Amino acid sequence: MGLTRYTIRRLLQAIPVIIGIITITFFLTDAIPGDPVSIMLGPSPSAQQAAAIRAKYGLDKPLFVRYINYLGDVSPIWIDTISTFPYVDLTFGVDLGQSIYYKVPVTQKIAERLPVTVLLLVSSFTFALLAAVPLGVISAQRRNKPTDHVSRVLALVGVSTPSFWIGLILIIVFAFHLDVLPATNLIMPWADPAGVEGADTWVDVLVVSGKHLILPTLSLGTLQMAAITRIERSAMLENLSEDYVKLARAYGVKERTILRKHAFRPAQLPVITIVGLNLTQALGGAVLTETVFSINGMGRLIITAIYNQDYPLVMGTTIFFGLMFVLGVIVTDISYAYIDPRVSYGEQEG
Amino acid sequence: MSRTGTDELGDDRSTTGGIAQEDVTARVGMRYTLSQIASDPTALAGLAIISFFTLIAIISAIDYYLLDYWLASTFWVHPENDPNTIQTLLPPVGFSNEFGQGTWAHPLGTDHRGRDILARLFYGTRVAITVGFMATVIGLLGGTVVGAVAGYYGEWIDDVLMRAVETLYAIPFLVLVIAFMTAFGRELSFAMVGVGIASVPTFARLIRSRVVSVREEDYVEAARAAGVRDSGIILRHVIPNSFAPVLVQATLQIGVAILIVAGLSFLGFGAQPPTPSWGQMLSQSRNYMLPDPWFSVWPGLAILTTVVGFNLFGDGLRDALDPRINN
Repeated sequence: MGLTRYTIRRLLQAIPVIIGIITITFFLTDAIPGDPVSIMLGPSPSAQQAAAIRAKYGLDKPLFVRYINYLGDVSPIWIDTISTFPYVDLTFGVDLGQSIYYKVPVTQKIAERLPVTVLLLVSSFTFALLAAVPLGVISAQRRNKPTDHVSRVLALVGVSTPSFWIGLILIIVFAFHLDVLPATNLIMPWADPAGVEGADTWVDVLVVSGKHLILPTLSLGTLQMAAITRIERSAMLENLSEDYVKLARAYGVKERTILRKHAFRPAQLPVITIVGLNLTQALGGAVLTETVFSINGMGRLIITAIYNQDYPLVMGTTIFFGLMFVLGVIVTDISYAYIDPRVSYGEQEG
Repeated sequence: MSRTGTDELGDDRSTTGGIAQEDVTARVGMRYTLSQIASDPTALAGLAIISFFTLIAIISAIDYYLLDYWLASTFWVHPENDPNTIQTLLPPVGFSNEFGQGTWAHPLGTDHRGRDILARLFYGTRVAITVGFMATVIGLLGGTVVGAVAGYYGEWIDDVLMRAVETLYAIPFLVLVIAFMTAFGRELSFAMVGVGIASVPTFARLIRSRVVSVREEDYVEAARAAGVRDSGIILRHVIPNSFAPVLVQATLQIGVAILIVAGLSFLGFGAQPPTPSWGQMLSQSRNYMLPDPWFSVWPGLAILTTVVGFNLFGDGLRDALDPRINN
């Protein structure tokens, strides 16, 4: 199979998209009114100070020159990585510049905030898949029966509800009213037990962290759960009406086997697509969820960066989001082949 | 108009081709679609919800833009500044909290500045519906142009346009709109344009995939052979014949846009206080969730109901236009 060639071709195709993302981000960020220098130095900086800062961040150069420089900086420089051996540079030589507001490298800030958001996304999508796949299958199996109707109404309401509102209602009910779950101050599962209140061992930390995660997970995951349920159901229905299913039924194959072998497996293709596409789009939802639950993740980082006109940080985080999306799409495409052998890589068939 | 229509007419369209044929197709398809929708209770429920909120939006838009809240302050209460109320954070009728007892004067209660919540919800409808609708129209127009041109011409034009679209799609929707609004302005009009631009990829990809298949149809080739210009073929044949799935997507996209706009207002981008909008009401209610949880409930319910309406109608429209998927 031309899997390797296909992968390489998809990676090459991604290059213009990534350059496009960098370009859009660069010029959009440049259009943001206001002066980052005045934010750093207060309202009335001396001309000398301002000029020094401008020179330090390269803001004194013309727009086009800055654009070219930035393109050069963000391109991976493999030589650097090799020369620092044996220390593996996890950024692969990508230099996203210095954050003006936090005064640390942008890559460092991303590395600091990324695990929080990844944790949130992973738990949300795990919840969404665990709930949605069985719900969609049962719904298709018991089509037009009460179970189906209930699950369809749930899915409809789920895709129509703002995630941040679900968050607010969950806080009101479970944190304020019932007082059983915490609403803010997310604690990471790998936090040091010494710094976590009421925790002596790492098991305690896991429990505390899990409790903190429940509400944000429900808030961010409900929309995904609903969307996946709808897709799972219609894909299952479509497959169940295929000729090979009818044939299998005619041969007297057990309904369970048909469901599992002939309908379920191919029905996962559209589900994978939607998970792949939504995983990065959910970063947008994470902006809102992180705001509601006061979680310091990537979403709040980018909002803070925009508020503070922290150009390098805005550009760095947006480019990072874009890169993740492009990679996500490629991984989705490739994982198709493992699930459905009928998918060709576009070389054999037209 | 619809795929159903063309299918019913079968082969003879390839011999006649041209505009007259298409009109017949459109009419048959349209009538069929309408009868399908009329017999689908969920689509009708969706239509009822959409009509209800659209009506409110029209009334509130007239009162806001043309009458400067004359209607509201004469027959009801002023949604932005009500001099008669001093009681803040009142609960709805039948409930009581530390601030007092709910009264029929304010059926859903009052907000943190003593303004009537029902009135603010009513006038907030304008923001949700207009921005949702306008943003979708912008995305639809932009996406149609890009998708049709890319799909029809193919080759390098297709490559360039679709890479550009993918680029736009790769940046999370909300982040893109926030960056756009920070750069150009936080007002509502920029929310419309921003959400519109961000939804161009959805429509461009959809239109393109339809155009690629329509392009190969016999009647398009016949038109080309008859010397019709490319722009004429795209406008008269390709776009109309690609429109059914786009109409469905547009209906659903209005719902998505309303959710995005609510999220934007929640973060402070969009209609600025004191102009009421649902997302902004939710953002204000955050500080009073403990003493007056009802304040947070209503705007969310309004968003939920409106978006359910568009989703129900969109689903119904899809079933009517594509009889292969029978639910």
